[in-house]
Amino acid sequence: MATERDTPTAAGERVIESFGRVSRTADRVFRALLLVATLLGIVALAILLVYVANDAIRPLTADPAWHLTFFLTLVVPTIAVGGYLYRFDAESFQFGTITVGMLAVSSMFAAGAAMIFVDIVAPVVWFAFVLAFGTAFAGIVTLSRFSHRIPFLARFLASGAFLVGSVLFVPDAVQSLPVYPSDWVMLTASLALPLAVVVGRYVAADTGWRGTVLAAGIGLGVVVLATNIGPLVGITPVPALVMTVMSVVPTGGYVAGRVRRHPELRPGLALAAAVLGGALVGAAAVDALGFAGPQAWVDWQFLTSAHNNTAAEAGLYPAIGGSILLMVTVAAISFPVGVGAAVYLEEYAPNNRLTRTIDVNISNLAGVPSVVYGLLGLGVFTRYLGQPRGTVLVGGATLALLILPIVIISAREALRGVPDEMRQASYGMGATRWQTVRNVVLPEAFPAILTGTILALGRAIGETAPLLMIGAPSVLYALPTDFSSKTGAMPLQVYAWASNYATPEFHNKAVPAGVVVLLVVLLSMNSIAIVLRNKYQRDH
Amino acid sequence: MSNTDSKTDPAASEQGTDDVITDEMAIDTEVTADTAGTIDADRTIIRADDVNVWYNDDQALRDISLEIPENRVTAMIGPSGCGKSTFLRCINRMNDMIDAARVEGDLYLRGKNVYDDDVDPVALRRRVGIVFQEPNPFPKSIYDNVTYGLEVQNMDGDYDEIVERSLKRAALWEEVEDQLDESGLELSGGQQQRLCIARAIAPDPEVLLMDEPASALDPIATSKIEDLIEELAEEYTVVIVTHNMQQAARISDKTAVFLTGGELVEFDDTQTIFENPEHQRVEDYITGKFG
Repeated sequence: MATERDTPTAAGERVIESFGRVSRTADRVFRALLLVATLLGIVALAILLVYVANDAIRPLTADPAWHLTFFLTLVVPTIAVGGYLYRFDAESFQFGTITVGMLAVSSMFAAGAAMIFVDIVAPVVWFAFVLAFGTAFAGIVTLSRFSHRIPFLARFLASGAFLVGSVLFVPDAVQSLPVYPSDWVMLTASLALPLAVVVGRYVAADTGWRGTVLAAGIGLGVVVLATNIGPLVGITPVPALVMTVMSVVPTGGYVAGRVRRHPELRPGLALAAAVLGGALVGAAAVDALGFAGPQAWVDWQFLTSAHNNTAAEAGLYPAIGGSILLMVTVAAISFPVGVGAAVYLEEYAPNNRLTRTIDVNISNLAGVPSVVYGLLGLGVFTRYLGQPRGTVLVGGATLALLILPIVIISAREALRGVPDEMRQASYGMGATRWQTVRNVVLPEAFPAILTGTILALGRAIGETAPLLMIGAPSVLYALPTDFSSKTGAMPLQVYAWASNYATPEFHNKAVPAGVVVLLVVLLSMNSIAIVLRNKYQRDH
Repeated sequence: MSNTDSKTDPAASEQGTDDVITDEMAIDTEVTADTAGTIDADRTIIRADDVNVWYNDDQALRDISLEIPENRVTAMIGPSGCGKSTFLRCINRMNDMIDAARVEGDLYLRGKNVYDDDVDPVALRRRVGIVFQEPNPFPKSIYDNVTYGLEVQNMDGDYDEIVERSLKRAALWEEVEDQLDESGLELSGGQQQRLCIARAIAPDPEVLLMDEPASALDPIATSKIEDLIEELAEEYTVVIVTHNMQQAARISDKTAVFLTGGELVEFDDTQTIFENPEHQRVEDYITGKFG
């Protein structure tokens, strides 16, 4: 537009000398305020965490030489290798970090699983149930393989009968045997073998069954080896086996599979080597040179002993076990129910008033205070169903109710993310709704559903109020041994230390240590969810 | 594969006894009686009688009546929003998926009204395959994409052989025979669309509906798809929606011209439509005066 600022030149063209300026002050102020709003919570929490972590780990109690040693062996090489890869080879960098992260996170969960096998579920029980489900599964597969002509209902009933029958009879039959193989042999068959097959398929499925068998065989070999070497270095066979199966084998399989398919990612292994090697060399060096490490409150003793009236000797072991059992229960209840509800609402429900009412109310349920769910659990499970108070089952069911709306909402979100063209394609091929859901929609939405469920479980693991309401003891001196025994939970134990044992001793030692353990568990769960989500988003 | 004889004996063609009852559709036996390999030039397979479609209160199709001949390519052309795709989706009742859509009138497939109460739309769709505008292979392997229809319809047969035959008919076999285990999504757009065609013909439907199958593709891929459609018409009845008039002229035997408002203005042999249309509006549309 011509304005008075435009000056006509001799030739009669108009030339713009200046566009002028528009004030951006409001913009900048607004931007700064938004930034403050964004960072407020994060910074506040970060400061708290630094304090808590400092109390729990007490890095300053270590010999400065200890810090220096680890700085030289671990931090410097990691930063050097990591920085180089990050700049020049981002893909490999990511591969390296995922490898290290996977090893760390899976070791933690493997430790939890090892604890279950050592102290809660005897390997023979596990073996018996795996055998029962395996028998049932084999029966169902055979049935569906050979009988397209049996009507669906008959097949369904027969499958159900298989399942119930084998779960009812096989475990008892196995456990009543006069002799059974040693624990590690049973775990090798029932835990290591299936996992090795899964890992083997991941590593080498595209090379045909030979490659898969070879890879699975190597995995199994490593497990057997670790189980027999473990006792020589002071680890009993069962934990050695479980740790190897759930941590070393999956991580190794991931590395092998990725590197085999994408050899260009190999530099990423340097990062993993720098971290692991650095940690090992550092540990060996401080041990040899006699540099004292920090006197952290989070230590082996804290993780493996029960509550004690002396803060320095208090531990979290029963609470960790309780939390693990609670999570297993919560996942077993809320995942199928929540995903089922989401599938109904997204794929089947007609768009009518009832559906819309359910819709609104599920969103409302997600906002109901957790203490109200505690009351619900108390009323329904202990009053009406007559369950004893504070058991794993009641606690797990209550927490499952609590996170059910979150699971439903996130699963619906995931289902909505499946492109409609795929459903159309499936219906156009003459598929029924069930076939479409099973073959197309659920496989496509599964990673996102899993992400949502893990985040919801993260919410459940930190809940305190509902557990108090249903009468879970805040201090537990022994692990819950089955689903109908009283359970503790990590947040409950921390709450007890902060309230019932409110001495400076407990405040400065046990509480921070408990919080750190709880947060590490929570953050590892969230990291799994985030990795899954990123992978899911990359695939689309 | 048992369904190859479906044109001569539809009652014996249904192998599926899954949770869906596939035999609900009674088929006019009069049509099947006289077939023994020869193809009657202009036998009607689909007949529409005063079909009206509403989306809520908007009428998308008005009193559509036409007869689609067997083993021919019938094209539906017209400007955007004229209802040609809506009509196509009436034939295999894909409009049932849309809550707001309401269909009135009669639409016969081999003499059976597909909107009768006793017709199971799932069973109908097993006889009437569809290929969509955007290539939409499943995120599964090429092999699994092609066998999807066989799996859900619970068909017996040598799947390896059916996969090979379908991919060959879809002119894709030579490009993918070494990578059947790779994801269908890794193919190019044109290959994906041919994969979708292979997927649609694998269960051997009687009618193949195509909703602008080449509009998302480049000219080379388009010409491959067009060649393919002409070949498919030897075995299938093809109904194709296109907004590309040259395409309709090239590949179809019959052409239906829909104009704005959901009216079927003219339906005749393709040659007549393009050379000597009856209606001035059709001539205006075809010569590019509007639309």
